Amino acid sequence: MTLSDFAILYVSVLATMLACRCIPLFVLKGRELSPRLTQALGLIPAAAFAALVANDIVSPSAFATNPVQAMVPFAASAVVVVVARKTGSLIWCAIVGMAAYALLTMVI
Amino acid sequence: MSGTVPTKEDILSAFRAALPVMLGYLAIGLPCGIMESKVGFSPLMSFVLSMTFYSGAGQFMIPSMWLAGSPLYSVIASVSFVNTRQMLYSAAFSPYFSDVSRPLAFFFSATVTDESFGVSLEKFVTDEAWTPRRALLVNLMSMTSWGVANTVGTAVGPVLNLPLAVTSFAMTSIFVCLLVGQPLNRTTAVVVGVAFAGVLVCKLVGLAGPAILFGALAGVVAGMVFEVARGR
Repeated sequence: MTLSDFAILYVSVLATMLACRCIPLFVLKGRELSPRLTQALGLIPAAAFAALVANDIVSPSAFATNPVQAMVPFAASAVVVVVARKTGSLIWCAIVGMAAYALLTMVI
Repeated sequence: MSGTVPTKEDILSAFRAALPVMLGYLAIGLPCGIMESKVGFSPLMSFVLSMTFYSGAGQFMIPSMWLAGSPLYSVIASVSFVNTRQMLYSAAFSPYFSDVSRPLAFFFSATVTDESFGVSLEKFVTDEAWTPRRALLVNLMSMTSWGVANTVGTAVGPVLNLPLAVTSFAMTSIFVCLLVGQPLNRTTAVVVGVAFAGVLVCKLVGLAGPAILFGALAGVVAGMVFEVARGR
């Protein structure tokens, strides 16, 4: 990638990123929000985390080629759920999650 | 919120909250930097991109698509589309920034991403002492960790080979932990189930890029419909 390619890429993706990150907060900030909108905003975290997890562990193409291998992220996530419920610690979840994923990948 | 200089307590509190994310970023930022080095990024380019654009998914996509021969406009469109989910995060924070100055609101919203969104939103809900200034510090600490890891990865890229699938699962684990911390009720179950299904459907029909945004939006809409159907 040349420097000019990088410059075009950088300016473009940064502009769209800043728009996505800043505009909604400034549009909604300080406004009296309706109960329905407040309710909807309260559902965003659960929806966002579920979508982020699903995006990381769900792979239709992997299931088509090797279903057993495709189950590794699901199994490792199940281990992390147990750790999360027991400890609530992000660090322990990250460490145990990586260890579980590595072990399962070696075993399967 | 008086004054502009963060107190020692602000810094310590933010550091404690940001530490898991910072460690996770060290694990995943190195391989990201290594990939960036493969398409000709210098350490300075990686650092500038990481400290301003600051997007794990986006920064992994750029070298992947470039190496696959995608044209520049296609890389820009895909990366931008994937990052539209940031709009949801920004909207979710708006109730906590009603009395915050414009510069602080701008710097906070410009530096928030998936992981710091989760950490700070949980803090806003559970910790009365949590402030927008501490949330901004979490963003900056996380971003710096990401920037340093990417820069080092780009500098030493040719001689390092980390198992990307394993290290990236640190971030997945953090998302799982944050998901488990959400309130347990029927509405949450509907939201989570539909968001999962939404992502799966998007991937099945070839819309992997916006899968997170569409999945999350489907989850929120389903949750609202469920609440209305229950008469709440």
